[in-house]
Amino acid sequence: MTVAAGIGYALLALGPSLSLFVAVISKKPFLILTVLSSTLVWLISLIVLSGLWRGFLPLKTTAWWPYGILILTSVAFQEGLRILFWRVYQRLEDILDAFADRVSKPRLFLTDKMQIALAGGMGHGVAHAVFFCLSLLTPAFGPATFYVDKCSQIPFFLVSAIIALAFVTIHTFSMVIAFNGYAEKNIVDQLFVPIVHLISGMLTLINLASGGCVVGIPLLYFMALLTLMHCGKMVWRRLTENQNR
Amino acid sequence: MDGSILESIGLEIIGVMAPVSICMLLVVLLVYSLSSSSSSAAAPIRTAANLVYLETPSDSTTQKLEGALLNALVFVIIISIVTFLLVLLYYYNFTNFLKNYTRFSAFFVLAAMGGSIFLSIIQHFSIPIDSITCFVLLLNFTVVGVLSVFSRAVPIFLKQGFMVALGIIVAAWFTNLPEWTTWVLLIALALYDLVAVLAPGGPLKILVELASSRDEELPALVYEARPTVSRNSGVRGSNLDLLVGGFSDSGSVELQVVPRNNESDLENSDYTAVAIRNQSEVGIGGEEGGETSPLVPNSRERQSSSSGSSEYSVDTSGQYGHGHGQSEIVADEERSPLVELLGLEGEREPVGGDGSDTFVTATRGIKLGLGDFIFYSVLVGRAAMYDLMTVYACYLAIISGLGCTLILLAVCRHALPALPISIILGVVFYFLTRLLMEPFIVGTSTHLMMF
Repeated sequence: MTVAAGIGYALLALGPSLSLFVAVISKKPFLILTVLSSTLVWLISLIVLSGLWRGFLPLKTTAWWPYGILILTSVAFQEGLRILFWRVYQRLEDILDAFADRVSKPRLFLTDKMQIALAGGMGHGVAHAVFFCLSLLTPAFGPATFYVDKCSQIPFFLVSAIIALAFVTIHTFSMVIAFNGYAEKNIVDQLFVPIVHLISGMLTLINLASGGCVVGIPLLYFMALLTLMHCGKMVWRRLTENQNR
Repeated sequence: MDGSILESIGLEIIGVMAPVSICMLLVVLLVYSLSSSSSSAAAPIRTAANLVYLETPSDSTTQKLEGALLNALVFVIIISIVTFLLVLLYYYNFTNFLKNYTRFSAFFVLAAMGGSIFLSIIQHFSIPIDSITCFVLLLNFTVVGVLSVFSRAVPIFLKQGFMVALGIIVAAWFTNLPEWTTWVLLIALALYDLVAVLAPGGPLKILVELASSRDEELPALVYEARPTVSRNSGVRGSNLDLLVGGFSDSGSVELQVVPRNNESDLENSDYTAVAIRNQSEVGIGGEEGGETSPLVPNSRERQSSSSGSSEYSVDTSGQYGHGHGQSEIVADEERSPLVELLGLEGEREPVGGDGSDTFVTATRGIKLGLGDFIFYSVLVGRAAMYDLMTVYACYLAIISGLGCTLILLAVCRHALPALPISIILGVVFYFLTRLLMEPFIVGTSTHLMMF
């Protein structure tokens, strides 16, 4: 249970992203840059949030509502940032198109745009997994493991890796959904993303109850699957529409 | 059609970032695996970087701060002296001496410092190997390393690999410095870098200008991003610009120095060469070298002049100076840009105060000085001694700083120091992460709350 366990936890959280990265992102330098910058944006948002909350932590109470407020503010802030990210992306898209014209290459295809959104979402997701899961893994490489009181059936590292995987999925694909929603001015999609994000965040509050993780994690995965399916359906619809045209 | 421009944009940037990332990753792994074992904390070594003050954990904060400031001051002064010495030597054409000195120091770094790192790895992982085999392997490694760093006949991949290896070795060595000294030193070097490259009369600036006026390469160690073979120069050149926002019609990308002279050539095609240089920094001995290199081809479509086509940036040397025989130049450029690039690079001049080396940065397609590699890695390695979280934060900060520097390079077209932005961002993010973010993250995630 030492190095092998640590690597196992890390792969559990980041394995899917890793394969996605190798398969899709790594061949296109621009996408790598997108991943990096979106990771940086997420990191900055985290730093700002922790700066805001620094004075109040650690919370002494056992009540759940301060945590609820914490998650609410965090999600609200990050969703605001997503809109900003979209604005920047829009400008970037114009520049890219102009550039493509200049070097007489085709403009961005629909799939290119989706890949950029995917890369942006992956940056968020990876940042989440890295900071909430990987960075706490250091002790997992040692000989011991760690259990949290409230979820005493499973090692803490395993739980956090599992939760991180769900959030990676949600972050990655909700960016695709959001960008499409903005592009098509589709209100449902635009609202879908913050709501899913908020609900998922709130679901982790269940973990505060003793043994809550048994209930909370399946629910969280339900949200992740929902995001995934919605994203899949939407991409499929757009691609077929695009082909017909 | 694979024509999506996503595939062509940002290649140079990734070309620079990838080796830097690899270097940092390996340094972190090294620091991680070795530091856990070496809690023995051997007596802190005395080097040029902590001549004045040896930090001990029991000292008060003010003592540490003062001591660290003094150390950094002394170190920067040593570096400046060495750099001026180099400029002087270079000015009087002791180029061969400098080159050989660089070779010697590369040898020294690989053999002695590398050897001791290998030894500690062998000990730590209990690798069964006998001393003779180990010695032969080390000798091979070193000799190939020295050859590959300086000769033109070696595959670029090998050369790049050894540059990264040199960076890793020196950076791993630097992480032995005490904590306060490291931080103050990094900041001091970033400031020094800024002055040496940008201020009029800064040693690196002089060195670069001297080299470009002489059509020579600086003897210095430089990492050169692989010029991608045979691509259209057009696409390449302008990518950065694109990132910058369609900034200019001629794309030159680079970090540092831009030599250009248009003197006679305006009519024909103008070649702009952008050279980038990095600054180098020196290791303990404190030295540095600057280099310049020319870069990559820019495409510029500007003047439809005769030859018009693409320009390769050749060394500065190639281009400058030769106002006359333009045709020759053109021919040269077309024929051998790659070769020239290869040839140019590296020499390093180490100055060894205490047997430390110096690293110089190089230019590359974009060339990046080895010194930049080293000090980025030192920062990340130091962060690794605290926690993984700070490592990620510092890595992101450094990489984005590097990205900013590259973009600035495309905008301002002359040699830029690669250290300041990245180091400052890295330090800021380190302390923000350590002071603000960690309690937040640990607090929420141990309650299994995430968002």
